[in-house]
Amino acid sequence: MKKALLAGVAFAIGLGLVAAHAADKVTIQLKWVADGQFAGYYVAKDKGFYKDAGLDVTVAPGGPDIAPEQVIANGRADVIVDWMPAALAAREKGVPLVNIAQPFKRSGLELTCRNESGIKSPADFKGKTLGVWFYGNEYPFLAWMAKLGLKTDGSPDGIKVIKQGFNVDPLLQKQADCISTMTYNEYWQVIEAGVKPEDLTVFNYTDQGVATLEDGLYVLEGKLKDPKFVETMAKFVKASMKGWDYTRAHPDEAVKIVLDNDASGAQTEQHQIHMVADVNKLTEGSDGTLDTAAADNTVKTLLSSGGDSPVITKPPVGAWTSAVTDAAKKL
Amino acid sequence: MTAFQSRGWLLSGVLILLSAFFPLADAAAPGFAPQAVLYAAALVFLLVGGRRRPGGASFAAALVLLVASAAALTAIVHRPDVAGGASWGFWLKAVGLWLASWMAVDGIADGEKAGASRWHDLAPAVLFGATLLALWEWIVAGFGIQPINLLAPSAIGAAVGYYAQTLVQDFVWTFLREVLLGWLVGSGAGFAVALVADRIPFLRRGLLPLGNIVSALPIVGIAPVMIWWFSYEWPSKTAVVIAMTFFPMLVNTVAGLAATGSLERDLMRSYGATYWPTLVRLRLPAAMPFIFNGLKINSTLAMIGAIVAEYFDGPTMGMGFRINTRAALSDSGIVWAEIAVAMVAGSLFYGIIALVERAVTFWHPSYRRA
Repeated sequence: MKKALLAGVAFAIGLGLVAAHAADKVTIQLKWVADGQFAGYYVAKDKGFYKDAGLDVTVAPGGPDIAPEQVIANGRADVIVDWMPAALAAREKGVPLVNIAQPFKRSGLELTCRNESGIKSPADFKGKTLGVWFYGNEYPFLAWMAKLGLKTDGSPDGIKVIKQGFNVDPLLQKQADCISTMTYNEYWQVIEAGVKPEDLTVFNYTDQGVATLEDGLYVLEGKLKDPKFVETMAKFVKASMKGWDYTRAHPDEAVKIVLDNDASGAQTEQHQIHMVADVNKLTEGSDGTLDTAAADNTVKTLLSSGGDSPVITKPPVGAWTSAVTDAAKKL
Repeated sequence: MTAFQSRGWLLSGVLILLSAFFPLADAAAPGFAPQAVLYAAALVFLLVGGRRRPGGASFAAALVLLVASAAALTAIVHRPDVAGGASWGFWLKAVGLWLASWMAVDGIADGEKAGASRWHDLAPAVLFGATLLALWEWIVAGFGIQPINLLAPSAIGAAVGYYAQTLVQDFVWTFLREVLLGWLVGSGAGFAVALVADRIPFLRRGLLPLGNIVSALPIVGIAPVMIWWFSYEWPSKTAVVIAMTFFPMLVNTVAGLAATGSLERDLMRSYGATYWPTLVRLRLPAAMPFIFNGLKINSTLAMIGAIVAEYFDGPTMGMGFRINTRAALSDSGIVWAEIAVAMVAGSLFYGIIALVERAVTFWHPSYRRA
């Protein structure tokens, strides 16, 4: 009896070892809460794309009090989703993040203005109150205002900046003439609050030439020296991109998967339908390969944003690599 | 000198000498100059340990050597071959010096008991604080802790210098407008309402339970509400401070006004004093310890309230705004610099109120010197 028990335990441990060996564990830390912005990763997990690639992936949702850069610096994630301005800032401050893939080809950042404020073009900004996200999102904005020659320090010939939280209240309450929105999220919050699209004027940062790259995949530089890690990441990127392809092909199913993965229950179906549809526009045509011209443009935008405490003071060296996406293409 | 202290001094000397037999770091290059100070220190701690009298010349010599050794160890830990990879040789020295500093504080505190000068009042606190800062510096540099997790004191000092202009702007914005104004208005209103409530028992019975509820309101809950009511500008942040400081002041003042004994009140009545003379001559002075208690509690509450209120939507200026937005960018330098400024400002604010209190309530038993 005892022997049988021992044998059983040994067998179970053996099984566990085989299973642990079979799947490489990968933890991805998202930049924000579980929603359509990260549909591709949830789809890849739920549809078994990661499993098929021999990966055991944990998708960790973020939130307002979670800094992905800190999570990865402390070894609690292997790869993070981050915006390039924040990643480059962290790199200069000692967390050596490297972009290994760029699933989001286009920027979803925009400035949404009420028509009644009289703003028809960027020339009308002077003297207006604009809501801006901080946490690194202010740099494309500051670069844009620098380009327009508008001061942001509250002087009369400039514009008035207010720090906007992660909601659209300032516009709804008419405390700001324009607010920051993402095509796929806050813009729809404004619409869902009852504002008609024809009452809004929207300026996309890409159209203004000051867009920065969003939602890239970043890892710690040191780990890339390990060929095994590069291989694991290549599998991860390939499976993730398959998840994004699937999300574009089956948006309805993707919405369902996102809602299933929202442990907080805070997301509504209607909002996620809008979100997945607009996020799909941003990932379209990307196989994960970083467009280095866009990355250079991001750096240029950040360096021209000025201010007394610039996000980066010099162009970064080695902040992105094609090693992972090159390997992914050979898989 | 107690037996405990003499053994402590001896042990610290042994530890530092012992450390000579271990490498400083995994990749440490030989470098004897700063180490020499440490071994000299060990020799002194060993030889004269147990024979020192606080205030005596040999004790002073040990103190000077202690400070020099701490400086030497700080220089060692910042050497590129030691930083981030410190090993046994380094940590034994660090523990030895920490022990010596502990014994020094213990010794000075003994002298204080024996009745000594102002220097003896201040020295243990200064030495203890300096020891903490030194240990902090050694641990951060020795283990090579990443700036995003913890910054060494020297790096925080450098950041304070580097961001001085921003820090001054933020301080003026947050402290003068939000903290000071909010504290004055909130405490003043609490005081005024307490006087009214004191005259009208109905209010006193009705308001105080309400006070408990409001003092339990979370800042994160009222901050957005204040923004809805008072716009995104600084008044909404000041309003948060007013809301936070009002009730502690009210509750304390009401309690203070009830603090006089019936004997004293009877005496006033026997003089034919009416409400106002009784209030001004007897009850308000008696309430002063309570009122200052409220003011002191509110001084720290006001700092916390203003900084947290700035985490929410609003102007692009202020200490809370800077901490909140720069922390998100892993910009640990300016975050720690703002924390340092907030700490110093909060302590000074509290200290000034405590000094005024001492002058006003000089009669209170706790300030009477034996």
